[in-house]
Amino acid sequence: MLDRPFGRRDLLRGAGALTAASLAPWTAGCAPDDEDALTFFFAANPDERDVRMRIVDEFQRRHPDIKVRPVLSAPGVMQQLATFCAGGKCPDVMMAWDLTYAELAARGVLLDLNTLLARDQAFAAQLRSDSVGALYDSFAFRGGQYALPEQWSGNYLFYNKRLFSEAGVPAPPRAWDQPWSFDEFRDTAAALTKRSASGRATQWGFVNLWFSYYSAGLFGMNNGVPWATPLKSPAHFNFGEDAFIEAVQFYADLSNKHKVAPDASEVQSMSAPDLFAAGKAAIAMGGHWRYQTFMRADGLDFDVTPLPVGPRRQGQPAHSNIGCTGLAISTSSKRQEQAWEFVKFATGPEGQALISESSLFVPVLRSALDSNGFAKAHQNIGNLAVLTQGPAYSEGLPVTPAWEKIVALMDRNFGPVLRGSRPATSIKGLPPLLDEALRTP
Amino acid sequence: MTSTPWRRRDWAGRLFVAPNLTAVAVFMLFPLGFSLYMSFHRWDVFRPPRFVGLRNFHDLFTSDPLFLIAIRNTAIFTVGTVVPTVLISLVVAAVLNRNVKGIGIFRTIVFLPLAISSVVLAVVWQFVFNTDNGLLNIMLGWVGIGPIPWLVEPRWAMVSLCIVSVWRAVPFATVILLAAMQGVPETVYEAAKIDGAGEIRQFVFMTVPLIRGSITFVGVISIIHAFQAFDMVYVLNGSNGGPETATYVLGIMLFQHAFSFLEFGYASALAWVMFAILLVLTVAQLRLTRQRSWENSRGLS
Repeated sequence: MLDRPFGRRDLLRGAGALTAASLAPWTAGCAPDDEDALTFFFAANPDERDVRMRIVDEFQRRHPDIKVRPVLSAPGVMQQLATFCAGGKCPDVMMAWDLTYAELAARGVLLDLNTLLARDQAFAAQLRSDSVGALYDSFAFRGGQYALPEQWSGNYLFYNKRLFSEAGVPAPPRAWDQPWSFDEFRDTAAALTKRSASGRATQWGFVNLWFSYYSAGLFGMNNGVPWATPLKSPAHFNFGEDAFIEAVQFYADLSNKHKVAPDASEVQSMSAPDLFAAGKAAIAMGGHWRYQTFMRADGLDFDVTPLPVGPRRQGQPAHSNIGCTGLAISTSSKRQEQAWEFVKFATGPEGQALISESSLFVPVLRSALDSNGFAKAHQNIGNLAVLTQGPAYSEGLPVTPAWEKIVALMDRNFGPVLRGSRPATSIKGLPPLLDEALRTP
Repeated sequence: MTSTPWRRRDWAGRLFVAPNLTAVAVFMLFPLGFSLYMSFHRWDVFRPPRFVGLRNFHDLFTSDPLFLIAIRNTAIFTVGTVVPTVLISLVVAAVLNRNVKGIGIFRTIVFLPLAISSVVLAVVWQFVFNTDNGLLNIMLGWVGIGPIPWLVEPRWAMVSLCIVSVWRAVPFATVILLAAMQGVPETVYEAAKIDGAGEIRQFVFMTVPLIRGSITFVGVISIIHAFQAFDMVYVLNGSNGGPETATYVLGIMLFQHAFSFLEFGYASALAWVMFAILLVLTVAQLRLTRQRSWENSRGLS
């Protein structure tokens, strides 16, 4: 055996050559694609993704010199961004959320767009005059402008018109300044809940499409309590106030006491969006991000209506939240000029007009909101003012770099209340914990 | 003349080991060293790390109420997983350790869960645990037990997690124990039979003591796995280890601090504390077994 060691060597050499040959086209093949393109990181549900891609394609058509590589986020946006950036591949343009962008801004990941706006005076002036102030300012943090808003994603109610008329229930209000009360809302939901002989619900009055602790918090906001003081870089959370606690209790009672909404067990077998899309729920609380889903649902005839107003705010208009997403540019981007062109396109009049026609988002510029294109894309919506006036009737939510910690605490402390195992007064102990988290971000 | 091929062989040996060694160095030793280095720093990935000395460890032990909760949950999970795993796999291995026709098919079926990724099985078990339409509650309904809110109620969430984890761990433990059982000489059983010992007595007083080494090995490995639980909890009970803090185990805490709160230094410190706890547990366990086997061997002689 020893006098023929070459057979083994030849084998090894051959294997080495094969490995090298198979790696060569792989490394050469993906390098140019990656290096040239502007990376655009975004999140979208499957129904939104295709429409979003049409906007990206349109940008590339109008700017043939700029190639965009879209990167769709998996669940866990922050985790994915951290991994990308730690590996030195921070996306050039990234979607930013009103609640979480401060975490990135405070860490110097996002470029202060004021520097670019200062160079582009005409665009800056046009944007300012056409924007809804509150939305534009929601991305202003510690003196910088870290993203430009692209969509309003505040919450409102979808309702199934057929189920309302079948139950003989009058249609809900048509605009934010003619709201309904908590009691009217609950009675309507009760009238729309149907049960089989065994007592199991066959149709729900109300389902929630957002995180339940956030939704409960919006009921608190509509009972006159802003979540925190001040909203930008807050020092104190107001979840301990009586009016807030009453509203959270009202929200929790919808499923636990009045049984007009499914509890956590009951949405395990069919998700809340599916319940509404299948006509098994009459009212759904969510935002425009579900519009694509409901528009495609067979035989679903729906409209939109504002959130109800609590007893402590009676006689005043209802409010949505400034949920909005925007586009930001990473500080480390080597293609900041190209990135700026993309951001200008999507958040400026051109892209906003396209967005409004495509029904992807509720746009943030007044010109796009009031455009015929937007009305045409939402022609099945009777109460269009709920969408077009939504941004103007929105209140901000807190903006802090400690948001992830705040959410984890909210999730833990609202959980037992929303499940009905503890009264809402138990969240009185939450604000000191939240305030502590604010002090040590 | 003879030394040349030997030297060549040495080189060949080193070359063969080199890729593996490189992989160990790059993917194990470097991350280990790096995480130890980071445990003394504050690091959020985006900004350069800042040296903070022992502050991460100090904060962990003195001012983090969730650390104690995570330790408690991990301890409950470990006991709730390891004890049933060892007991069930002992019984399963004993049943499979027979020369019956078609035993191969049963052995294959029992080992199947070993081949499924934990994420996939967590997703499948989510359907099984569904309160209203889940397979488990439907079957419990047949024997008159009302629907159990498996993943919804905090106290049931931990039970669910332990069930899935045991289901996942039993095949591996069974493989080890079955191999050990097959190594027990037939003559020992023949002697026991002559002395009039029944099957159960043979199992308890002959088989189990003779495969104690393997049982210890299974115990140690199961404890290590239980301590490192993450993927299954993440998929089955959510990224926060919910509901509330019911399944908030150390693995979830580590992930949350690293990737949600971007406190990689703090998470590294936690990882090293976990390592220290595991080291102490394992050493204690091995010492205990060694002592016992020494007593045994003296007793036998």
